[in-house]
Amino acid sequence: MAIRRRPSISDIIDEYFADLEEWVERFGETITERPSWNLRNCSIEPLREIVVTPTEVLITVDLPFTSKSTVKVEPVSKNSLEISAKMNRKIRLDDLGVTHCKGEFQTFHCHIRIPVPVKMDKMDIQYKKGILEIHLPRKH
Amino acid sequence: MSEQVRIIEKKKIPSGATLIFGFPDVGLVGVIAASHLMDELNLTEVAYLDSTLLPPLIVLHEGLPHSSIRIFADSNILLAISEAPLPADVIYPIMDALIDWGKSKNVKMMISLSGIPIQDRQDAKELKAFAAASSPEALKIAQDKDIEILMEGYMVGPQAIMLQRAANAGTPALTLLAQCFSNYPDPEAAAEVLKELGKITGVRVDVAKLLEKGEEIRLKARDVMKRTQEEMSKMKKGQEYDIPIYVS
Repeated sequence: MAIRRRPSISDIIDEYFADLEEWVERFGETITERPSWNLRNCSIEPLREIVVTPTEVLITVDLPFTSKSTVKVEPVSKNSLEISAKMNRKIRLDDLGVTHCKGEFQTFHCHIRIPVPVKMDKMDIQYKKGILEIHLPRKH
Repeated sequence: MSEQVRIIEKKKIPSGATLIFGFPDVGLVGVIAASHLMDELNLTEVAYLDSTLLPPLIVLHEGLPHSSIRIFADSNILLAISEAPLPADVIYPIMDALIDWGKSKNVKMMISLSGIPIQDRQDAKELKAFAAASSPEALKIAQDKDIEILMEGYMVGPQAIMLQRAANAGTPALTLLAQCFSNYPDPEAAAEVLKELGKITGVRVDVAKLLEKGEEIRLKARDVMKRTQEEMSKMKKGQEYDIPIYVS
């Protein structure tokens, strides 16, 4: 039988905050629904999908009106990424059919939490037809 | 027709038309295709669905309230579109009401437009389309037009109930499905399904404009896609990926 290392205080604190963050993401969205756009930082949240396979985590993000050169993918911790992309045109809220407030956007922005341990330094990024693909090999 | 679901007619309904359904589903293929069809053919609203089973939601257009499920028409086509995903638990009564109503208008055929998700969709150079039918005769209509048949598998959602109920009612029905993204709006797949619809009905629309507006549609349809994902998950849409078990 394998002997399990006792978790350190910092592991416990990390895990606590990770759980808390997950809780806020999951329940915060369902309790107080918020729009998919943010006037404060002039950004729109893109649609995204996370698939966990036995060997990797594949994240795809739908980024219409963008090009590969404007896409930024930055690890913000060992289990989360921040993604942003500048659109090649400004989108006004009324272009999207929202007429009760004014504002315009030119950026996609989102924060993605990765559900299993991955090798961030081995991240591979591809961009096809406006779809961003992020491949992250899993840590076993 | 269920008393909880009413179809209110605003104008004279043509008899003997083809009833087409474009409801939110994978890749929003059906809704995108139906919206383009409505624009290109300049269809007018002839009826709408009113139901206490639906969430308390209206769609505002130019400041006026509309049902999220409306029927547009010309002399040959009745097109039922939903601008919001159907809640999983009301699909049966809503589809039953629409099918009963279609039968009362002597529709000659019912066709549902939808998609079938594929892995690595972004790598696909060409999208294939498939058909499933309510009867061997309806299946032959698709085969005669060289549309590949979806031979085996599971189908989940409004289009599944349409086929089953149409089969029970003896009304010829087809579901046309184009390969698509599951969770991203897919205007290219919508264009593909419209090409197949043209082969069946003879109603051909130019899809160039639809493809041109592809990125705009992807941007605008994000929120409806997200809501649709939630409903698809409730109705166990993922079962369509399952390998079928055959008992013969």
